[in-house]
Amino acid sequence: MDVPYYPINDYEPLIKGLVIGGLGITHVFLAQFAIGGGMLMCYFQWLAQTGRSPVARQFLDGYFKILVLISFVVGALTGVAMWFTTIQVSPRTIGVMVDEFHWVWATEWTFFCLEVVAGYAFYRCGRNLPDRSRMTLLLLYTVGAWFSLFWINGILSWQLTPGQWGEDRSVWSGFFNPSFWPSLIFRTITSLTIASLAACVVINTMTELRRDLRRELINRAAFCLSPMLLMPALGYWYLNVIPPDSRSWVEGGSAAMTMFMGIAVAASLLIGGYALVGLIAQRLYINGATATLLLALAFGATAGGEFVREGVRKPFTVREYLFSNSIRADEVALLREQGSVTADPFPLRNAGIYANEQLRLGAKVYRFQCSICHSMGGVNGLTHLAGTWTTDQKRMNIAKLQNTKPFMPPFAGNAEELEALVQLIEWHAAGMPRTWETTSNATVLAEIRQWLDEAGTESATRREVALIREER
Amino acid sequence: MDRTFPFGFPGATAFYLTIYVLTLVIHVLFMNYVLAGTGYLLFCRWRDGSGSIADRGLRAGDVLRDWMPFALSGAITAGVAPLLFVQILYKENFYTANLLLYHRWMVILPVLIIGFYMLYLLKTQWIERRSALTRGVVTLGALFCFAFTGLSWTENHLLSTDTASWPGLYESGSMVYYHRELLPRLGMWAVGSIPTMALLVAWQLYVLQRSGQEPNELEPRRLALLAVVGIALSVGCAGLYGYQMTSEVRSHVTGVLAGPFLLAGVVGLVIQIVAWLDQGKKTRFCPRALAAGSAGLLLTIIGMTTVREAIRLASIDVTPLYVRHAESAEKGGLYVFLAFFGINAVLVAWAIRLTRSRVVHSAD
Ligand code: HEC
Ligand code: HEM
Repeated sequence: MDVPYYPINDYEPLIKGLVIGGLGITHVFLAQFAIGGGMLMCYFQWLAQTGRSPVARQFLDGYFKILVLISFVVGALTGVAMWFTTIQVSPRTIGVMVDEFHWVWATEWTFFCLEVVAGYAFYRCGRNLPDRSRMTLLLLYTVGAWFSLFWINGILSWQLTPGQWGEDRSVWSGFFNPSFWPSLIFRTITSLTIASLAACVVINTMTELRRDLRRELINRAAFCLSPMLLMPALGYWYLNVIPPDSRSWVEGGSAAMTMFMGIAVAASLLIGGYALVGLIAQRLYINGATATLLLALAFGATAGGEFVREGVRKPFTVREYLFSNSIRADEVALLREQGSVTADPFPLRNAGIYANEQLRLGAKVYRFQCSICHSMGGVNGLTHLAGTWTTDQKRMNIAKLQNTKPFMPPFAGNAEELEALVQLIEWHAAGMPRTWETTSNATVLAEIRQWLDEAGTESATRREVALIREER
Repeated sequence: MDRTFPFGFPGATAFYLTIYVLTLVIHVLFMNYVLAGTGYLLFCRWRDGSGSIADRGLRAGDVLRDWMPFALSGAITAGVAPLLFVQILYKENFYTANLLLYHRWMVILPVLIIGFYMLYLLKTQWIERRSALTRGVVTLGALFCFAFTGLSWTENHLLSTDTASWPGLYESGSMVYYHRELLPRLGMWAVGSIPTMALLVAWQLYVLQRSGQEPNELEPRRLALLAVVGIALSVGCAGLYGYQMTSEVRSHVTGVLAGPFLLAGVVGLVIQIVAWLDQGKKTRFCPRALAAGSAGLLLTIIGMTTVREAIRLASIDVTPLYVRHAESAEKGGLYVFLAFFGINAVLVAWAIRLTRSRVVHSAD
């Protein structure tokens, strides 16, 4: 078994998770705009061609231009960007995803091609086409866009709830995993929401239309917000199928996760409340500023949701299979024996700043095992987190890392590496002095070994799941 | 590697290599159109100065400007497919190069977004009202974006095969990789894109000609000249590149592994030259000449893309990856993919057909 080593870049004082989170949100938001936009336009085309709303056509062409300019360009490229960023954050994760699901991805790609061609055909020729052709093109575009979501949703939801895949390793067990349907329906509704709010913004810019016509369009667009009514039920369904420990993070177990969840829920409630009461029940007009604000809230909800989605997977990127730090669950035991960085071919970038060889070892261990979620002195910084602990407490709590916080993976190195890591943290906390004593106390190492053995090599999530079940 | 590509490899490896090359060929077609097309637009700006030339029939520049954003969409969309397969085939090599180049690599994404908007800008009325200088600068900006993207892919590719340089490059923290093959290789891609672009534009002009929009009568000759110059330059760059290779790699390129493909590429070039000489003598676009040229072009691109792969296969040891390719090949989903590939190909064709159903509606 060969553990692959990759060059790990330094994000200090940030951490990688934040970076991918930020990019992910933009992409998800734009991609969902494209999907919902397709559905919304089919609806408006239908309104126009059945004579229900003659101005709908005028809106359609303007809206589609914006959709193409923003979503085609930035949306498509941020899609590639997601791929590239995932490589930057965890090449091993994307490697597993590509190996397992490449045909799913290839299938998604055929829909993506359909989306681009149908969308572009409408963009270039839509104005001069008869209604039937317009409708067909819009439907083809929407089918392409929505199915892209369908396929990618299977892969993303698999990461958190691989379900039956854990046993049979079958692509389709992984794809139609327990959270596949709730998250697919949820994302579909989110897409419609974003598209309708964007439509309200666009309609407000159509100043050439009379206000009553604009109001009519807005009320039509707001109608597409009504599926939001289903969101609470879907959210409940989703929370029910994700692992109990992940659920407990958002229900108060982790301050950050609970906060992001809170943001997502609150923003959705605001949008939903305004839409249902104001726009649909009372048929109010909504001006550009309010529409933009609601759209910004939708962005906030997406942001909260994506952070939760990325966050609750901890300590895994693929549940029970691959840890966030790119160590496979079945490799921990081996790395404890042979050392986690013994075979790492990549030298330190600034080896000269460390006061001794032990610290250099510690720096490599930190880079390999911890830097994905921690910085040293910045975001989630180790010197702060372990700041009040004695040296021995550090040794024990890191040796029992998965027990210290169940959203951390087990420590995957030998006792010497652990001691080096503890020294590194203390050295940083002491302000990186030029000299630092190397420790080599056989009793200490023996004690660390014992703690490591006590903690075992399994993640705490399984035990945690059992505990949470008991409590209920 | 003692048999012709892809036969000397185990089944799974050969399978992925083949689809990788085929999908990359599609990317190359679009990418060439974008790269050379933007270059040609810049040339048109310079040639035409600020004067208007709209009254003398359609010209390549008009078509290019009109279709360039779509072509870029195409290049990106078509790039995703080989991006998938390159990861299955070369895994660690590809990822490590990405990671080493880091921000330098990631920056191609914003750069492409900027390039995209510049192409849209070039289509607007707004830019037509601006000075020749402004238009030139925007065109140059777009060209820079795509040239930079091309450079980055070449750099990443060479780095992915140069495993010995990895630890040193990482330690240095540098995000720039230089290799003596870099410039001739990039040069080859750059000038090699010219004949492809010329031919694709010629087809577009032919389609317009059939629908009654007459191209400028000098255009066939200009494009023929452009293509032949592009071919000559490519041959020059290829020579230079071949000269830079280690003799071991060169022996694979000219030997059993890729020799037949090299030959196919050369034959394709000859066919293209003959076809262009024929077309260049005419004042209208002639489908027969263009079809012959296209056959030659496809031969050249498939040949050279395969030679490109052979160079990589000769530079790194892929044997340890065979097992993993075999594992990947066991994953399900191939038939689902094939089914949807077929269905969506039909739907794409349908979408294109629908655009012909043009009716000017007077009702609204
Ligand atoms: C999967 C991501 C992840 C990895 C990998 C990880 N941690 Fe953590 N760690 C966290 C999170 C999240 C917290 C909680 C921070 C908070 O409570 O604000 C945490 C908390 C801690 C704490 C404070 C615990 C407490 O009880 O207050 C220490 C110390 C720590 N980590 C050390 C490490 C070390 C050392 C490594 C590497 C061997 C590591 N972590 C790897 C995510 C991770
Ligand atoms: C206008 C923009 C682009 C240009 C000019 C361009 C240019 C190139 C060039 C020159 C190569 C060959 C590199 C070499 O062999 O030395 C290449 C390869 C490739 N390109 Fe593009 N490219 C563009 C956009 C993209 C995008 C957006 C993607 C991804 C979605 C992509 C995916 C690929 C892939 C996967 C390869 C093969 C890489 C390898 O095998 O190492 N390209 N491209």
